[in-house]
Amino acid sequence: MDLFLQQVVNALSLGGTYALLALGLAVVFSVLGLINFAHGELMTLTGYAIFFALAAGLPYPVALVLGVLVATASAVVMERVAFRPLRNSNATVMLLSSFAVAAMLHVLFQNLISARPKAIPAPQFLMRNVEVLGLQIGAVQLVSIAVTAISLLGLTLFLRRSTLGIATRAAASDFNITRLMGINANLVISTAFAISGLLAGIAALLWLFQRGSVDPLMGFLPVLKAFIAAVLGGLGSLSGAVVGGLLLGFIEVGLRAYLPDGMQAYREAIGLTIVIAVLFFYPSGLVPRREAVR
Amino acid sequence: MAVSTYLAPDAAKSAGLLCAIVAVPALAIGIAFTGPLVTTTTNFLVMLTAVLALGMFSGNSGILSFGHCAFMALGAQISATLTISPALKKSAFPLLPEMILQSQFGLPAALLVTMLLVGVIAYVIGKVICRLEGSSASIATLGLLIIVESLIVAAQGYTRGNQAVYGVPKLTSLPVALVLALLAIVVARLFRDSRPGLLLRASRDNAPAAASIGIDVATQRLHAWVLSAMVAAMSGAMMAHFLTVFSPKQFYFDLTFAIIAMLVVGGMMSVSGAVLGALVVTLMVEVLRRLENGFALGPVSVPQIFGLTQIGLSVAILLTLYKRREGLLAFAELNPLKRAKPAPSDRMPERAPPARLEIADLRKAYGGVVAVDRVSFALRAGEILGLIGPNGSGKTTLLGCIAGTHTPNGGSVLLDGKPIEGQSPDRIARLGVGRTFQTVRLFANLTCLENVVAALTERHPHWSRQQLEAEAQRLLDELNIGDLWSQSAGTLAYGQQRRLEIARALAIDPKFMLLDEPAAGMNDAESEDLLQILGWLVDQRGLGLLIVDHDLKLIMRLCPRIIVLNKGQLIAEGSPTEIQGDASVQQAYLGRRHGVEQAPPQTITMRA
Repeated sequence: MDLFLQQVVNALSLGGTYALLALGLAVVFSVLGLINFAHGELMTLTGYAIFFALAAGLPYPVALVLGVLVATASAVVMERVAFRPLRNSNATVMLLSSFAVAAMLHVLFQNLISARPKAIPAPQFLMRNVEVLGLQIGAVQLVSIAVTAISLLGLTLFLRRSTLGIATRAAASDFNITRLMGINANLVISTAFAISGLLAGIAALLWLFQRGSVDPLMGFLPVLKAFIAAVLGGLGSLSGAVVGGLLLGFIEVGLRAYLPDGMQAYREAIGLTIVIAVLFFYPSGLVPRREAVR
Repeated sequence: MAVSTYLAPDAAKSAGLLCAIVAVPALAIGIAFTGPLVTTTTNFLVMLTAVLALGMFSGNSGILSFGHCAFMALGAQISATLTISPALKKSAFPLLPEMILQSQFGLPAALLVTMLLVGVIAYVIGKVICRLEGSSASIATLGLLIIVESLIVAAQGYTRGNQAVYGVPKLTSLPVALVLALLAIVVARLFRDSRPGLLLRASRDNAPAAASIGIDVATQRLHAWVLSAMVAAMSGAMMAHFLTVFSPKQFYFDLTFAIIAMLVVGGMMSVSGAVLGALVVTLMVEVLRRLENGFALGPVSVPQIFGLTQIGLSVAILLTLYKRREGLLAFAELNPLKRAKPAPSDRMPERAPPARLEIADLRKAYGGVVAVDRVSFALRAGEILGLIGPNGSGKTTLLGCIAGTHTPNGGSVLLDGKPIEGQSPDRIARLGVGRTFQTVRLFANLTCLENVVAALTERHPHWSRQQLEAEAQRLLDELNIGDLWSQSAGTLAYGQQRRLEIARALAIDPKFMLLDEPAAGMNDAESEDLLQILGWLVDQRGLGLLIVDHDLKLIMRLCPRIIVLNKGQLIAEGSPTEIQGDASVQQAYLGRRHGVEQAPPQTITMRA
């Protein structure tokens, strides 16, 4: 029982990180139809920003905030420079462009910084275990879950209460109609990218707490997972992204915990196969986005 | 099925021309040179085969696949396992069953087994991936790539894990690579203009429209997916027998990236583009690879740059997308001949048999909003029924529920007494209910003739290509757009697009047609003309028409019977005069408080 609860905490913490990433992808996808392959590079940028901030002697909390801000700003710049010229083109064209941007950033990180990992030690208090209801739980996991919950809550409030948030949500459900209502398209798109960058930055912090280092490919794997989570939940559906992220976390942690030792090597393949099997029954994802055919 | 159906008249010639363009220089190099140039050419031919495989699926379906490298990896793995000498095999793959360990295949047999096995695997995975919507499908192919790579690494003993497979016989010489690449060119080029290829390209341009003429998009995608996976497996095997040593890492993201770059630069939508792209990018990579370790630029010496090739590929992709989005060749195929306009057939379409479309108690709700509320009416073949109602009254939703693009929450749609509600749109189309859309939905990158041929093909699978084209031309002539046959549908004027859409809907020989605002955006002369055509369809072919339009003048003139929808409910039914005099209709259109007093009945005959 204890082991099971431990695993639930692990799954929530990992799934929460996936959920933040998938949500960032979903916000952009729902507004622009763009699957942003370079989302992972925003995470990597956060990592490097923190590394250099610490190297420059800034205090740890300041470095973290700076890292998240860098991801947010980079997301907006990325849209400006790389994706704006291609706006209104089809999904494949935009997918390709972000694929190329991601590849280019990898190479730049390798050449300008280093192909080798750079250490970013997590603060001491995150290394300990905390006792909650008689369970020994890693502080990192607890912080992850808390940060995820606060981020989701904050985003929900922003999307429901603020004018810009409502405009973004409207654009997510029908971008063209939203523009007809006189809402500034560039502003909404920049907001969507800023949100996705912010979420990627926060996810990067959680990832760094667990890994302790940044390398050029740091964001690649988690964002691949987030893509899959977004599709599992229903591409372009915001609540779907969260559901998909959490579910993927549970699948992965469940397999890690309960798959027999001899099968562990096949974990990745089995996890993804489960996802694809779910898609067989729910081709539009678990919480599909509504779309009308006119 | 007649073989002729599968061959477009000029595809074979175009394939021949492409083959000659590739074969002549490759042969010349093979004869005149030895050494690095031959190696580079062989490598190019292997990559070309891979690009053609990817293009066969991604180009025709519009879904970018990251999974074809997985099929290449499987192809390399399987073919290597089959051809390595038994002695070496025992130490490399100790867990393989004795039967496989003892045997050793030659190249043709190994390729055949490899392609068949991969075909079966692709079929199973394709069953899921081909059902997903475009972007989701792309990501699912990414999942496939990861699954296959991690399986190969995990299955150490059956494979070499993440270590290199070595001792693979060098069977890919330049002539072998050339023969296989030419085979891939022919298959890809013929497939593009074949019946499944045409239907797939139609669905790429507009999936809902493809469903509306009866195309089962998932099945068409699956054909291309399996075929292209088999060719990809072949190219993977070729690569294994070219390199002789390879590891699973070589069939992962870097290779995927290179192949996609080749496809994009040349033009994803055509086979000629794939050939050109493979050539241009191979040349670029060859140059960059030599510069990667640093070079001297006059007095400046440039240091070693990691991943210069990657940067080159990224820049090539981005430049192509910014400057020439559809690639160097876009949709153009090399074609030796200019085609003549096909002669129209003299087929007299049969009158639609007497039929009845009955809508009973139909209901559709979105959350708490009821868009269609227990609507019932009937439509006979040979009848024109007008459906009017204020904006947001549920007209398009009602149409969607009948055509199958929306699933009703209750009630039934009966075609000749048989329930059809909730079935897929393509099935309903095949049962004889055609439609046009509120916003025109054409296959924009196909010619007008191809737009109609695609629809005819679905209806008449046994007709030859000539028969199909003659009949398509007849339909185009009928709608007065016969001279536009060779133009891309996307380039037509708005009124012409509406006509083409009707011609295409007629091609499935429907019993009923649902027309959503057919006169929208037309000027008076155009809509007058449309009126004639519609009336004639009913008289000559005995079709039943359900017409939704805001142009009340047109509806009043054309439709002997009209139904009125307001807030999802049917509020009136009757002749134009009855509808004009109906108080609830006036209220619905003009508002409750002042409408009746202020607006005399005749005003609603004006445009709403």
